[in-house]
Amino acid sequence: MILSILLSVATAIATAQTAAPKKSVKDLKFKPLGEIKIPEISSFTLPNGMRVHLLENHELPLVRGNATIRVGNVFDPADKTGLADVFDQSLRLGGTKDKTGDQINQLLENIAASVESGVGETSGSLSFNTLREHSDVVLGIFHDLLVAPEFRQDKIDVVKTQLRSAIARRNDNASGITSREFSSLLYGPTTPWGRDMEYETLERVSRDDLIAYHKRFYFPSNVILSISGDFVSSTLHAKLEKMFADWTVKQNPAPAFPPVTHKAKPGIHLAEKPDVTQAFFRLGHMGGLLSDKDYPALEVMNDILGGNGFSSRLMQKVRSDMGLAYNVSSSWGVGFHHPGLFSITGGTKSSSIVDALKAVYGEVERIRTNEVTDEELQIAKDSTLNSFVFNFASPAQTLGRLITYEYNGYPKDFLFQYQKAVAAVTKADVLRVAKQYLKPEEFVVVVTGNSKDFGTQLTALNQPVAKIDLTIPEPKRAAAKMDAGSMAKGKQLLAELQKAVGGADKLAAVQDYSHTADVSLTSGQGGMKVTQITQVIPPAIRFEQVLPFGRVIIFSDGKGSGWLKTPQGEMPMPAQVAKQAAEELFRVQPWLWLSDRDPNRTVNATGARTVEISDKSNNWIKLTLAENGLLEKVNFKGGDGSVEAEAVYSDWKDVNGLKLPHGAKLSQGGKPAADISVKEYRINSGLKMEELGKK
Amino acid sequence: MKSRWLLWACCTLIPAILAAQDLQEFEKKITEFDLPNGLHFIVLRRPQAPVVSMVTQVNVGSANDPAGKTGLAHMLEHMAFKGTDSLGTNNWLAEKKWLSDVESTYDKLEIEKNKGPRGSAEAMKKLEGELKAAIEKANGYVVKEAYSKIVSQNGGVGMNASTSNEVTTYFYSLPSNRIELWFLLTSQVFRQPIMREFYKERDVVREERRRSFESNPQGKMQDVLLTTAFLAHPQRTLIGWASDIENLRARDAEALFKTYYVPSNMVMVLAGDVDPAEMKRLAQVYFGGIPAGPAPPRIITEEPKQEGERRTAVEAQAQPFVYIGYKRPEAGHADAAPLSVLAGAMSGRAGILYKELVEEKKVSLVTFAADSFIGGKFQGLFTFIVVPAAGKTGDDNEKALNLIIERMKKEKVDQAILDRVKTQVRAGLVRALDSNMGMAQRLASNYILYGDWRRMFTRIQEVDKVTADDVLRVAKTYLIDNNKTAVYLKTPGEKKDGDKEAAK
Repeated sequence: MILSILLSVATAIATAQTAAPKKSVKDLKFKPLGEIKIPEISSFTLPNGMRVHLLENHELPLVRGNATIRVGNVFDPADKTGLADVFDQSLRLGGTKDKTGDQINQLLENIAASVESGVGETSGSLSFNTLREHSDVVLGIFHDLLVAPEFRQDKIDVVKTQLRSAIARRNDNASGITSREFSSLLYGPTTPWGRDMEYETLERVSRDDLIAYHKRFYFPSNVILSISGDFVSSTLHAKLEKMFADWTVKQNPAPAFPPVTHKAKPGIHLAEKPDVTQAFFRLGHMGGLLSDKDYPALEVMNDILGGNGFSSRLMQKVRSDMGLAYNVSSSWGVGFHHPGLFSITGGTKSSSIVDALKAVYGEVERIRTNEVTDEELQIAKDSTLNSFVFNFASPAQTLGRLITYEYNGYPKDFLFQYQKAVAAVTKADVLRVAKQYLKPEEFVVVVTGNSKDFGTQLTALNQPVAKIDLTIPEPKRAAAKMDAGSMAKGKQLLAELQKAVGGADKLAAVQDYSHTADVSLTSGQGGMKVTQITQVIPPAIRFEQVLPFGRVIIFSDGKGSGWLKTPQGEMPMPAQVAKQAAEELFRVQPWLWLSDRDPNRTVNATGARTVEISDKSNNWIKLTLAENGLLEKVNFKGGDGSVEAEAVYSDWKDVNGLKLPHGAKLSQGGKPAADISVKEYRINSGLKMEELGKK
Repeated sequence: MKSRWLLWACCTLIPAILAAQDLQEFEKKITEFDLPNGLHFIVLRRPQAPVVSMVTQVNVGSANDPAGKTGLAHMLEHMAFKGTDSLGTNNWLAEKKWLSDVESTYDKLEIEKNKGPRGSAEAMKKLEGELKAAIEKANGYVVKEAYSKIVSQNGGVGMNASTSNEVTTYFYSLPSNRIELWFLLTSQVFRQPIMREFYKERDVVREERRRSFESNPQGKMQDVLLTTAFLAHPQRTLIGWASDIENLRARDAEALFKTYYVPSNMVMVLAGDVDPAEMKRLAQVYFGGIPAGPAPPRIITEEPKQEGERRTAVEAQAQPFVYIGYKRPEAGHADAAPLSVLAGAMSGRAGILYKELVEEKKVSLVTFAADSFIGGKFQGLFTFIVVPAAGKTGDDNEKALNLIIERMKKEKVDQAILDRVKTQVRAGLVRALDSNMGMAQRLASNYILYGDWRRMFTRIQEVDKVTADDVLRVAKTYLIDNNKTAVYLKTPGEKKDGDKEAAK
């Protein structure tokens, strides 16, 4: 009691002495920083060869663990790119021998625990997180998933459906497009470091691949296990030894990761995204390694240029001086064993993209030309050195870092070496590394935005501007057998068709074409009646549909321009409509039937009476001839590319000396979709381009 | 098998007992006090590492923006990083003179603009020139980013701020020996904010809108969901209308500051390796001199009753996406706990949305249910987000989702599901205790929202009391058409079901 009175008197005196707040930051004096506690880690190797690190931390009743596996998606075979993605999700969802993935979901969520699997570029992980009282149950599931995942087929199917959707959605977001295309251009779009998963490569991945992948990479000496949290190390050590005693499989060590070899051509690449008001940009070139002698100086340089938030030059210039961006930053990209990417990233309103890029180039030039100021150097170094303590904010961080260094073969004290090296960096070092490592003439620039609104076009930057093709390749169908014989047979079948409809010369004389048809949709398709008018002067095409709620008109000039008009309004042709127009054009009958005269098309017999016509854009159609040489039916790619459509023809009548079908039954994916009845064909009616383009 | 069941039973009981103990244990680490001016402090002592996280939360958000000035609270948030009268300028008196010149010139310009067709274009052009010149003059005295540089130089990390519809939050972390820096800077900024570079920062905020809302399909959808669901309540505009932002005035930001940034309308939380007695002393020294002020006005406008379902679409060059929101009462309402259990029952890999829509029917790529889409101070939205799988439409997804919702309104959830959700809520809190910044944020927001940080613990007891009947009742009460707003993301030119084939 007396003591506490004394204390409060002391406090009162202290308060009276320092009642006035200090006015300036310069007046502040700080005590030395409290001691950084480096937690004790118990490390050992199990008899089966698995490395283990345990870190006791009793602050909270939690246990967390992670198995780091030497594996990576850069090992994906080119023709199965996406294998690692299918693998990591299926490993978790596919369950174990005695529990399905659903049972595991239920079990874990009931106790608010998690087990998750992931495979990144150059490492894989299986992690868990649980309240202490459930750690045995969770550790058991973790063990079973690591050692013997079951990869049930139904869950592989779910995963593949999900990944297909992810492919379909990869162009939704402008910033996503920008970063993906940037890495792909720099690492090389066909290399393991730069290529993307496609429908086709995803489709090839089978359950056997997943099992083989697990067998090859998931073995004890290829795994580092780390666990931190509320446990007693000696008890857990014994438990792990027992638990993993039976897991004794051996494999050759995992191979080295493939080297980065691509040399990118400098230049500007534009990805068109018409629905955004901001242009996103990323520019740069290859970065370096964490172990580079100059890495600390490069980090200091990068902090001053654009790495240290609001304090950095790019932010000051482009955001606070010019008000051109909400975000702009740079990163000196490094990897442990393969080079990262040096990049400058930002976004600005469409009209100021060129101004923003010029300002960015200006800052790069400035840091390469003149020494930074003493103040800038001091801020950059102080920022790193004074915030160093945050590397030790939690024991788990220390453990994580230890694993990362061990996995990558870096020294344990790498971080302390780095700290020392940063403290020694001089202004001259910063200028030297900026000059030596930043090469604006090698910059690859990716811009995603609506170029129609760019105040100045990118060509003003005096560099070549290439358009990025964002088209997502559709899965190729299993190619039919094709050789000289089948191709000759194909031409023969096509010639028979040409003869039956009136002769190749008649077909070759067609200059323009149009038809008007009544389409009645089956009830499953909406049950309505639609009038459809198609007009073609190759390569231009126009469709008009009269729907109950108004007209929809699509016009494509066949050279990349066109428009779409609906009752809601008019707009430039969206990419997927342009693709649809190109597909329709590919199938317009007089020219389709003369495909043997088109050097870009392949004609190949795939059956006794069936000929397949295809082109390099992955368009295809199969024609099946009736006995009389006319078409019985055609099969082609359906609306969304996932199901096949079929049209069975009838009612052939003469039009200007050509026989043309006037009736068709359309089905999609085997289900009836529509009845089509052509009211009128016009061939060589003197159709004019102006009529096609009329709005 | 039998022994296993016993084990399970005791395991699910343990955390329930823990929850009450947790609060008592936790309270020992907390020091809480009010300054005489009404400023509230919460100090969480966590000596694990010599670092500290600081959170300042002000009970003002975009819902408090005056009409025609949407985005103002957010704009003011940006100004807090512009420094003080001694930091960020090389001549405050001269700068101040030009800043006031900027305002008076801007006033003249607005007077001219307000004349409408009778305004003089020539005069406006002249004034615009003068305004630009005055802004340049004032900017001439600015020491760029002095505030953020000093924080960064002292090892500060993660400095940022956010403005939601109901609250403004400022935060960063420091090595704990440098905490006095935070006291000094924060007290100066919150005593007298300076409208330094206001009009340049306005362009930055305009860019933020372009980036996060106009050029981001999901941002567009969130914007439209709020403005469609709420016709009257001012929380409907999150970042503000583009034209409002482009015309915001420094003077208005100062007025907003004077009204809402009064000590009793704010809370400051420090979490980390700091001595509470010393913090109390520093708080008095640095913040004691800030004058008290009256409580700011409350929001009067209530959202009128919704009559009928609302439905709208956003066009973007992106794959389909569906947001569905059902109006629900504010977080302090008695139905808040059953609603969060309802959302929990539907979420996760064991939840009905994932199982039925993603795994069984394969119509969705991702599903998401949240008991509230935005904060909790006002009426909110119980929100579903469904991302259609490739080749599936928004309609397919909404139909499948509706079947589930109808079931939730007819059938009681079973006990296992209730237990699961309750366990997850408890575990969520335990996990949050692991981070200084996470805890500081939770302490601050619980204090602002409920007037007591203890609510983050007592809420667990409320959730524990929720029964299957409660869940059924709230599903029936709130998941109805008269509360519903559906927003679809559509690709330009995408047609409705049915006319797809006609295009062939």
